[in-house]
Amino acid sequence: MSKLIETLRNSPSRRNPPYRPLARIDEAEREELKRKIGGVEHYNGQSMRELVLAAPENVELRKAMVSSIMSAEFAGIDAFSRKVVEWQEWDVPESLILAMARQTWDEVRHAQLSKGVLESYGGVVGEYPDTLAGGQGGAGAQTQGQGQEAGGGPMRRRQANGQQVNPQAQATAQAALGEAFMRNPIASLSMTNVSLEGGALTLFKGTSEVGHKVGDDLMELCYDYNWADEVTHVSIGDYFVKQLTEGDPKKERLALMAHARHEMMRGNLSPTQTEELKAFFAEELERADEALVGDGQAAAGGYR
Amino acid sequence: MAYVIDLKACINCSLCRRSCPTECITYYRTGHRTHVIQPEGCIDCDICAQVCPVDCITFDKSYVPDPIKLEAAKESARGWARKRRQEQLTAREAAHVVIAGIGAGH
Repeated sequence: MSKLIETLRNSPSRRNPPYRPLARIDEAEREELKRKIGGVEHYNGQSMRELVLAAPENVELRKAMVSSIMSAEFAGIDAFSRKVVEWQEWDVPESLILAMARQTWDEVRHAQLSKGVLESYGGVVGEYPDTLAGGQGGAGAQTQGQGQEAGGGPMRRRQANGQQVNPQAQATAQAALGEAFMRNPIASLSMTNVSLEGGALTLFKGTSEVGHKVGDDLMELCYDYNWADEVTHVSIGDYFVKQLTEGDPKKERLALMAHARHEMMRGNLSPTQTEELKAFFAEELERADEALVGDGQAAAGGYR
Repeated sequence: MAYVIDLKACINCSLCRRSCPTECITYYRTGHRTHVIQPEGCIDCDICAQVCPVDCITFDKSYVPDPIKLEAAKESARGWARKRRQEQLTAREAAHVVIAGIGAGH
């Protein structure tokens, strides 16, 4: 009998209604979104918050905003529950596996909360498409989805600048990068728990504030609740990254690199923040070069 | 006076770094996973302490700022606030244009 982890790897996430990522909806649904929210380009947390504030009486906008958040929560359930199984194969503390199980349950509650808010507007799950660029669940997909939620993402910025983007190519590149990092517990925790969930703090605080401004108590309270959970998720991530990197500068640099890569991917950085990241990447490249030269010299020495 | 982060309590969520109007909080400079407030850029606005979800930011009364650097930091914060305000106004106007379009479609 095969191991559970092998079975899961060969089982893509399925749910009913099925994943219907924004990048793959048909022309009729695009037209429908244009009629309801002004176009697919607005279907992300940041834009939807602005639209809800601009037209508080329009319930359809609230439904779309909550749906865009809820789809990321569904992806979160899949991502963290897979970690519970996959990470049992890795050399990580048992308490980290338990923490991932707790986070899975948190994501379930978040999805339930969003579902409740959505239903309070007369909406239903599946009425709006998923905000994720890919069609699969998993950690990589969650990174993309919530990254867009938290900051608008590089795709949106390029669209705003009138530049051509290829969502499929971008999604593939991001998914590949995400997958590579997700195979390492330190990088995965740094990227997902610390950077991504840290960014989600802004999303949930902003959404709760929208609820307060438009007099929507349920929205205000539910997303404030989500915000508090995200603080715990960041704390969990930071605690275990510290534990797994303790006394090992190389591992700590890996954690920093994962955090930096995720921030670059998410975009929405100021010029100063971009400069700091560029300097960090330049230093990392230099280190890599030095390491290669060192290895080369060692190898040459070995042949003499 | 300048604000300081208690590195033992900090969870590295970066919320302070994203909120700082003088952008004087760094994360990648030291090579360690530590958020550090550069005191010469701090204008004691208290925003970082207010947004910190684990209340790990306090102030160091003993720090005496250089008046010239402090004024430069304040000017930087004014520029940041103007830019942020402009971005908010632009986003709000864009939202109203979209809303008008939705209304016209009905």
